[in-house]
Amino acid sequence: MTRYIIRRILGFIPVLIAIALFTFVLMRAIPGGPFDFAGDKSLPPQVVANIEAKYHLDWPMWKQFLSYMIGDDLLGEEGISRGVLRGDLGPSLRYRSQSVNDIIATTFPTSAQLGFLSLLLALMIGLPAGIIAALNQNTWLDYSSTFGAVLFLSIPNLVLAPILIWIFALKLGWLPVASWGAKPPYVLGFLPRLSQLNWDYVSHALMPVFALGTSSAAGIARLTRASLLQVIREDYIRTARAKGLRERVVVVVHALKNSLIPVVTVLGPAFAGLVTGTFVVEQIFGINGMGKHFVQSVGNRDYQVITGVTLVYGVILVIANLLVDITYAWLDPRIRYD
Amino acid sequence: MNLKKSFSIAFAVLMIASMLLVACQPQQIEVIKTVVVTEVVEKEGAQVVVTQIVEVTPEPVVVEQPVTLDWNFGTEPPTIDPALATDTTSVDVIHNLFVTLTQFDPVTGEVSPYLATSWENGEDADGSQTWTFHLRDDIPWVKYDPITGETTQVVDADGNPRFVTAFDVEYGAKRTIDPATASDYAYVDYIIKNAEAVNGGAEGVTLDDVGVKALDATTVQFTLQTPAAYFPAIAGMWVNAPQPSWAIDEWAEKWTEAGLINTSGPYVLEAWIHGGELNLVKNPLWVDADNVQIERVHGVMITEASTAFALYENNELDSTGVPLPEMDRVKADPELSQQYLNAPNPCTYYYGFTNNKPPFDDARVRKAFVESIDRQSLIDNVLKGGQVAATSFAPPGIFGAPEPGTVGLPYNPDDAKAQLQAYLDEKGITLADFNAMGITMMHNTSEGHAQIAAAIQQMWKDVLGVDVKVENQEWKVYLQTIKNSTPLEEMPHIWRLGWCADYPDENNWVHEVFNNQSGANRLRRGCVDATCTEVVPLKFDELTVQAQQEADPAKRADLYAEAERLLAAEEAAYAPIYHYTINSVTKPWLTRNFPPLGGVDFFNWKLDMAAKLAAQGK
Amino acid sequence: MAVAELPQEQTLVRKQRSLWEEAFIRLVRNKVSVASSIFIILLALAAIFANVLAPYDYAEQDLTQNNAVPRWMLPILPGNAANYARITTDYPLGADHLGRDILSRVLYGARVSLSFAVVASLISLLIGTLYGTISGYAGGRIDDLMMRIVDFLYAFPFLVVVILLQTYFKALGRASGMIGFGAKLLAFNDAMGGMLFLFVAIGLINWIGMARIARGQVLSYKRKEFVEAAHAVGASNSRIIIRHLLPNIIGPLIVAETLAIPGYIFTEAFLSFIGLGVNPPTPSWGIMISEAVPALRSYPNQVLVPAILLSLTTLAFNFMGDGLRDALDPRMKQ
Repeated sequence: MTRYIIRRILGFIPVLIAIALFTFVLMRAIPGGPFDFAGDKSLPPQVVANIEAKYHLDWPMWKQFLSYMIGDDLLGEEGISRGVLRGDLGPSLRYRSQSVNDIIATTFPTSAQLGFLSLLLALMIGLPAGIIAALNQNTWLDYSSTFGAVLFLSIPNLVLAPILIWIFALKLGWLPVASWGAKPPYVLGFLPRLSQLNWDYVSHALMPVFALGTSSAAGIARLTRASLLQVIREDYIRTARAKGLRERVVVVVHALKNSLIPVVTVLGPAFAGLVTGTFVVEQIFGINGMGKHFVQSVGNRDYQVITGVTLVYGVILVIANLLVDITYAWLDPRIRYD
Repeated sequence: MNLKKSFSIAFAVLMIASMLLVACQPQQIEVIKTVVVTEVVEKEGAQVVVTQIVEVTPEPVVVEQPVTLDWNFGTEPPTIDPALATDTTSVDVIHNLFVTLTQFDPVTGEVSPYLATSWENGEDADGSQTWTFHLRDDIPWVKYDPITGETTQVVDADGNPRFVTAFDVEYGAKRTIDPATASDYAYVDYIIKNAEAVNGGAEGVTLDDVGVKALDATTVQFTLQTPAAYFPAIAGMWVNAPQPSWAIDEWAEKWTEAGLINTSGPYVLEAWIHGGELNLVKNPLWVDADNVQIERVHGVMITEASTAFALYENNELDSTGVPLPEMDRVKADPELSQQYLNAPNPCTYYYGFTNNKPPFDDARVRKAFVESIDRQSLIDNVLKGGQVAATSFAPPGIFGAPEPGTVGLPYNPDDAKAQLQAYLDEKGITLADFNAMGITMMHNTSEGHAQIAAAIQQMWKDVLGVDVKVENQEWKVYLQTIKNSTPLEEMPHIWRLGWCADYPDENNWVHEVFNNQSGANRLRRGCVDATCTEVVPLKFDELTVQAQQEADPAKRADLYAEAERLLAAEEAAYAPIYHYTINSVTKPWLTRNFPPLGGVDFFNWKLDMAAKLAAQGK
Repeated sequence: MAVAELPQEQTLVRKQRSLWEEAFIRLVRNKVSVASSIFIILLALAAIFANVLAPYDYAEQDLTQNNAVPRWMLPILPGNAANYARITTDYPLGADHLGRDILSRVLYGARVSLSFAVVASLISLLIGTLYGTISGYAGGRIDDLMMRIVDFLYAFPFLVVVILLQTYFKALGRASGMIGFGAKLLAFNDAMGGMLFLFVAIGLINWIGMARIARGQVLSYKRKEFVEAAHAVGASNSRIIIRHLLPNIIGPLIVAETLAIPGYIFTEAFLSFIGLGVNPPTPSWGIMISEAVPALRSYPNQVLVPAILLSLTTLAFNFMGDGLRDALDPRMKQ
């Protein structure tokens, strides 16, 4: 197992470099650069040239990428960046007093808190709902669980979020309309300070967490049900049952663990996706997260931010998928790597 | 067994977490205020900017709630550096933080004294036009300390207090022009002598040759490349604001962070949490501080219009825009309808034609397309915000702009049909043949533009029987597409754009946008070849140059009226659609203005804090 | 509990039918699943015959009737709606912001949304299952490599790819005088109302998740006794995959796929909105919902109609998926 993990971690490197390279190149292949226009006013070529020179956009592509990876000083040029490999994701092209590191340091923690809480909620609702549905297959409990799950799944956040605001903020006045309770700087770079963990934090978090969490919960519930049904008829479950073990023990100890493989598979990318931010929820609730920032950066052609955020997402994703694969082996000891 | 183990681990985690929470309780009670402090420290031999949290212990006396305005900037300002700003959000913040040479009168929109009390033009030895500005000497440079919450006057190395001087103005303008600053709006100053050459990195000229010079501490002189009657408006733009050289030298690009920034305007920057909040507090040392009533501006950055409107309804914003789909409800609501106001906004929405792409290379076709647009129906049924139907380009309030409806082609379905028929007859083709040419209209991706396009698409269908295909592209791609270097076959026949005033003069409109020699010439007028590498000036293009250099205001106005008529009615080179309005709601406790040239000047607003607190139930 | 009552003895009786045949018989026995299938068939028929059923053309607009509401829908609107809403009798479900009939638009919209949902599901199920099964079954370095490619594609910014597609495909479309394969492709795309590019775009991205689920399932099943037994009697790899592995792992895949349907419908809406999908004013449910959301608080009826249809359809697909899952489960015999 240790060898497998080491092999996988070494495998991250080419994947991440490929992600950086492709994002870097494709972004520049899209028409429209960050500085050709101010609004819709086209700028004189010499103005554009000045700005592009400042950010080294006039260099050949290979040199830009090299400087992005290892830093300008190693190329013997005036420095705008120390390079990704030394932890500097470069300057933002849109927010000219901020670096990409600054932007990720302010937006990632918020997205991570929101995503983590949503995932927690999704698991807390989704797993029990799925188990109950499976154990009562084709009864009203099963149908209503499916119905509820599908309902939440098919109402997109685009619709759900404004409805939540309408009801809980405007009609009932229980919750604030928008924004996130904790403001940077954070503990360890991403946790809210303890002095911020109060009703203000919770009340701001409730609606976005609910909007994000419920659709994931629906997916988890449906997958758990399907998978549990599959496992529950396996021979070894019958054996366990035949041994006279109590139904609850059979389900929880034997069946559930084995049935979680598809659920865990989905959780890996879902985790990476949620903690790095989701555009719609962050946009509607006015939360300064990484998902919202990423979409805006694509619109602004803020190359550095786009590549930087994609890399952060990539790192979390490959780690999450590694954890998923390790969990497989724990859930089902028959799964062996090499 | 496994289950038991998991449970005990989970339990242990919970225990530790709750103990931590308990342990922190006493601390929590003491802290009433946390502030964000940005400072520069030495790290690894280099200067590094560090932002950290400082928790401040309570002050013994409870102060009265300051008069606070809750405002939505709508987005994070990309910068608040006057040399770099290009967008309205940044300019709004800068306008409240920095003094400029001149300002637009908040009521009339005319150029009026601000830092400069008077100015006059003349000629230098070479015969170039000069503008000399005489400045007041009592505006202090100030700095806000986030820890103490105090605003103090900046002092120089010898301990003398700093006031805004002509040298700061010269430094500011030159910093904008300096190619190393890489300012987008440097081109605005190209009218200043040698500015274009220096900004373009030409050989043999340096920043010292640029035509801006502080003659003494209170007099600054600009020498122009070409005479311009509207220069006092340019001089008052944010790019020419006085800038604090010492702070910029010390902090480099971080000089605009809260705690570091030196400002000169009615407000100071209290906090700027990037992407989240930008707060301003009143500058007590401001020369006109007695008339600044709002003491604090709490600014959020909510992009989603419907969320901002919900915040307004929840008394969390004091004034905001009305999203179009809510317009019916707002106008019918007994309370909201009283708070609703639409004010003119100096912007024009238009459809451009690709003037050299058949069949739009024929003026009759273009006229037919313009005359079949029922602008009033569009305004009444789709836009709903009291916009003004536009038949020419510059909106009312701009020097030289014709009254709406007096110049250009109004809605005239009969003539539209006749014009198209005349074209078809001459070419000997049928309407079906015309439709087979695949007329394409393009806009940038947005719900609002899509609605307008869908409505106008149907008008063309109803009046002319023409099928127009509507496409859209992502904004930056779109801007590349409609450049005049795009091959003709890839160009849409019709495309949309808008234009807003930088300064209140027709030069900023017909000349800068449409002149085929100086503007982007997206309309592709007077092109010799398909991609306009060679362009012949038409009558219109000669007129706008003539008007630019004309000194007599009456003659200038006449020239512009004729230019507007030529472009909109005779050439029908584009289809003006409407002049914008600002549709907003304002709480009864806030008295705000709508300056004719847009922008927000919090220092001219008044807010009844007692009424606001009462409404919030506090 | 319910599971305990399963008639276990029956599993011992072997009938000489293939797994797939038995599956079909089990499928038609499940009433909820059958009802769902009938609903989907009816909906498909309504979509196909939209031009007969719809009272108006989907593009026909009467600006003066914008946001018109039929009287019976007033109770869904906010309390003071009577003050601002334009009451109509001409439009059974009301008119949208440009005065277009909502009923006609949802009927026509079903064409795009349904075909997209079905095609996208099939494409992603097919590619994803194939890729994931091979990866999981092969294991070792091949598995590693194939999954690193998946990681790469997962992390790749979809938005950037979409803008690239939008730029280059559409620019090709406007450039006249194009010859060869590109021209044929464009003609075909136009013939499909712009949907070909949608399918391409969705095909490129949505199989990835499915591949990972399929691989996870294969990993867990490939060491089971019946697979080992098949190996022992010398069955070929492809036979093992198709006859033994697939029927066992397909359940969660189908469920995951039916769950993805609303996602597909909104992906279509997003792609169409940015000009990569169907051309306006062609409606789809996703487009209709996105257009109506900003007016949610003034005219909730405009969101409600397509949203309810979307929910019902997803529900039907899910129950049908459940039926399929049960039917394909080789251990569930009655």
